[in-house]
Amino acid sequence: MITVEGLTRKYGAFTAVDDVSFVCQPGRVTGFLGPNGAGKTTTMRVMVGLTPPTSGRVTIGGHLYQDIPNPGLHVGVLLDASAQHAGRTGREILTIGAQTMGLPSSRVDEMLELVSLSPSESKRRLRNYSLGMKQRLGIAHALLGDPSVLILDEPANGLDPAGIRWMRGLLKGYADRGGTVLLSSHLLHEVEMIADEMILIGRGKIVAQGDKKSLLAGAATATTLVTSLDNAALASALTAKGFDVQPAGEGLKVGTESVEVGRAAAENNIVLTDLRYGGAGLEDLFLELTADTQREAATEGVQA
Amino acid sequence: MSATAALGQIDITSTPHVPMSRLAKVEFRKALDTRAGRWFAISIVGLVLVVEVIYALVADEGSKNYGDFLGIAGAVLGYFLPILIIMLVTSEASQRNGLVTFTLEPRRPRVVVAKFIAGLLLGVSVMIMGAVVAAVGTVVGMLAGGAPEWSVDGNLLFNGFVLANLIGIFIGFAIGMLLMNTPAAIVGYFAYSLILPIAVGILGALSEGFEKIAPWIEFNTAQTPLFMGDYTPTGEEWAQIAVSGTIWLIIPLAFGIMRLLRIEFK
Repeated sequence: MITVEGLTRKYGAFTAVDDVSFVCQPGRVTGFLGPNGAGKTTTMRVMVGLTPPTSGRVTIGGHLYQDIPNPGLHVGVLLDASAQHAGRTGREILTIGAQTMGLPSSRVDEMLELVSLSPSESKRRLRNYSLGMKQRLGIAHALLGDPSVLILDEPANGLDPAGIRWMRGLLKGYADRGGTVLLSSHLLHEVEMIADEMILIGRGKIVAQGDKKSLLAGAATATTLVTSLDNAALASALTAKGFDVQPAGEGLKVGTESVEVGRAAAENNIVLTDLRYGGAGLEDLFLELTADTQREAATEGVQA
Repeated sequence: MSATAALGQIDITSTPHVPMSRLAKVEFRKALDTRAGRWFAISIVGLVLVVEVIYALVADEGSKNYGDFLGIAGAVLGYFLPILIIMLVTSEASQRNGLVTFTLEPRRPRVVVAKFIAGLLLGVSVMIMGAVVAAVGTVVGMLAGGAPEWSVDGNLLFNGFVLANLIGIFIGFAIGMLLMNTPAAIVGYFAYSLILPIAVGILGALSEGFEKIAPWIEFNTAQTPLFMGDYTPTGEEWAQIAVSGTIWLIIPLAFGIMRLLRIEFK
């Protein structure tokens, strides 16, 4: 379990992380989502003691990271897959990690196999690795000590679609066995597919958190896409009811719930050929929420 | 995965800390497991060999004793050992692997101690190899017609070879930790070890007053008695080493350690 309590980190006048609190539960994958520069990495760096917080604190399994002896055995960390000596081979990087943690060298082979890095690839130097290979190596490094908590910063970055699917399965299985997983991303679809719980951060502040359902339920604007045999009549009927109506492709985009559109159609005897939820899902919500943080000090309305 | 993970708490009571011996062993390995580190170490020993052989062939008959060869090995090592140390320290920031190093052992002072131990082990290993190469040089000198004296002045061994190189190793640590950037630290080191003494020498030649002060404020100049004459600094010369050493070694080392303990590895 990761518990972040009132975490703030300032760099001079710039506040990178502003009073952030959340909890990552064991047995769940928590997605940490936000645009570039939102404070995701800073938050994760504070978690593992690389950056001291200005105020607040983070505990992992009830302890400050600095107080965990041989932390690699309890917390697997991948902050930046490229942050390794470019002149070391993949195998050597894992060997150094395993030796520090006091693990047998057989563990290195197990991890290389787990992330599908072949023996010949493992003997190449990191500077000759593709970003995807670096990510696989970084995930292998994080898993070396068989930790119960995983903290991964943008782990899907650079992975090909098959690699992303592989990682999804790996982390799901890991959480199902009781592990705590926190992974960050600026790509919503990535997180949406894998995370049980989502934390949205923008400009250093948490703008929303919860599972997908509760986040969507809290979305401010409902949009419906509708196509009918008489779009003009439907449009005027909806406009008369005070809804925002815009043409969209073959049909209309209406600023209300689908039930309202259906009701208007029924009242006017208009035949609908297509009726569906029109928001792009979390993406709209995400952009809306993070845009809000640029205009306002805080967005409390959608806190789950 | 431990059973306690389900409760969200991590039981750390049965996990021992990473022992210092293991940290030091890993740091030692890190100094030599890259092409840059390994070949630099091999090149230093190789360079000592080349210089020794050339010396064996061209030196006067009377100065082909083991002590002479040892002094030369010490001088060559003295220039390059600090760079090996600088690479060991600065790669954490320049190659960015400090992110992992200090995540696996967040108590930074222990990593600093491990680096000191690894650096000293590395330095002593290279010194022993230097001493062996000096013996090879002496044999080559013998084959080239010399009749070497094999016994070595204890002062030469301890002051000119061991102490001077230990100082060099700690200079490497100080500059490395202070600058935390490999190219900058190497340039800084050469400025300190080559340009500074020349500048001091020129100033000393221009001003007799400055020449008297120089060994008190310039560490290279102060160390000269360690490997000149009878390799035994006088009381005043030891005092000069202590004073200039405080300025150029102790203070930078202290600031360097403080920096390493606080720096944010990005």
